[in-house]
Amino acid sequence: MPSSDEELVARAMGGDMDSFNQLVLRWERPIHALAYRVIGREEDARDVCQETFLRAYRALPGFKGQAKFSSWLYRIALNLCRDWIRRERRAPVAQAPEGVDLIELASEATPTESIEDLVARREIARAVARAMAELPEEQRTAIILKEYHGLTFQEIADLLDCPLSTVKTRLYQGLTVLRRQLADPGIPNGTALARRGMDEQADRT
Amino acid sequence: MCDKDLLVGYVYDDITDIDRGRFERHLRECAACRAEVSSIRGVRDDLAAWIPPEPHLGCQVTQARRPSLRAWWTPALGLAAAAVIVLAAALAIANVEVTYTASGFSVRTGWARGDAGANAREGGSVRDGNDQILPAAQAAPAALTAMERRLSVLEAAARSAAPSSQRVSDTEILRRVRDLLSQSESRQQQELALRIAQVIRDVDAQRLADLSRIQQGLGRIDAMTTAEAAAHRDLANYILTSSRTQQK
Repeated sequence: MPSSDEELVARAMGGDMDSFNQLVLRWERPIHALAYRVIGREEDARDVCQETFLRAYRALPGFKGQAKFSSWLYRIALNLCRDWIRRERRAPVAQAPEGVDLIELASEATPTESIEDLVARREIARAVARAMAELPEEQRTAIILKEYHGLTFQEIADLLDCPLSTVKTRLYQGLTVLRRQLADPGIPNGTALARRGMDEQADRT
Repeated sequence: MCDKDLLVGYVYDDITDIDRGRFERHLRECAACRAEVSSIRGVRDDLAAWIPPEPHLGCQVTQARRPSLRAWWTPALGLAAAAVIVLAAALAIANVEVTYTASGFSVRTGWARGDAGANAREGGSVRDGNDQILPAAQAAPAALTAMERRLSVLEAAARSAAPSSQRVSDTEILRRVRDLLSQSESRQQQELALRIAQVIRDVDAQRLADLSRIQQGLGRIDAMTTAEAAAHRDLANYILTSSRTQQK
């Protein structure tokens, strides 16, 4: 049975570097995904991810276990993302590939998904990335932590040092803005939202 | 007044049973909240499409090893170890990379390659201590191989520089160098196998895409031919009918 985070942390604190590297292996993807979605640049997200683990390793003797190890990592990563945004003094970038390479797509498609579906999914993903990049940082962070990392409202509140109701308000406001942006029928094949809007219209007529 | 906190909690199923019951009762009476729940679920469906690109990660925290300075100045062992250390240090400082090509071998130096460049952008602030993050193998295989080679040499140097008992003869050093070389070779072989597998996968993917395109094209041609045949049949029928009418 694989060791728990707590066991690995305890061993790493005792000087076992392999245990720490197991933690890295376990958490590098979520941390990279978090950084990528918050700052919107793949290369910088990778730097943030590396820096997060380096800082965590150095700060490990001070980790008292009052929070989950993952929450602690998320906090370090979010602080680094904030530093990055402040340093770059700009909103996150929605990094979307230019054009669509069918051959590249073909290798990505799941067996049940047609190329057309995959192209549509790409378009929606681009629309989401653009809309998310325009959100205020705190709303975007709340959505990312809830939607993609499945944290509870309480965990998010602890992580962001804000009241529970503030987290819910940020999430609701962010989702409301996204709903407006994504309902734009200009997206080919339509987002789920735009399709729902069309279905409702069709029902009415 | 509708409670948006409850609505968000309900949509994400992060809500107490009592509140859920309360909100479900409210939903039965409030069409506006029903519509809002449905549209926010639509937003969530769209959000699910946003997947980060496959990252080239695989970072590891390592402790930089420093060769012990004590007791390495014993005559024969000292000379051999010093030579290895000086060579390794020179390689490390110059960031030398030796590559074998068809036309012979080339030696490159400098820090401005691959991830080393990316790291330098950080102002070097995080890499001034003993700990360092090694970048992903996939991102810069050549740099990594060079780094691994350097590390192995340094490790060997550290081992041979260790105090007292481990006196190593020239043949022992030669054996180790041979070992290192064979390890490096097997690593390169593995990498080659990996690359070949990737190429095969790419070719496969392209073949699949081409096949599906051909199939679509054939389908279109088939449909056109059927339509044309039907038109011809109609025309023939028409001519036949009209000629019969004329005969009458």
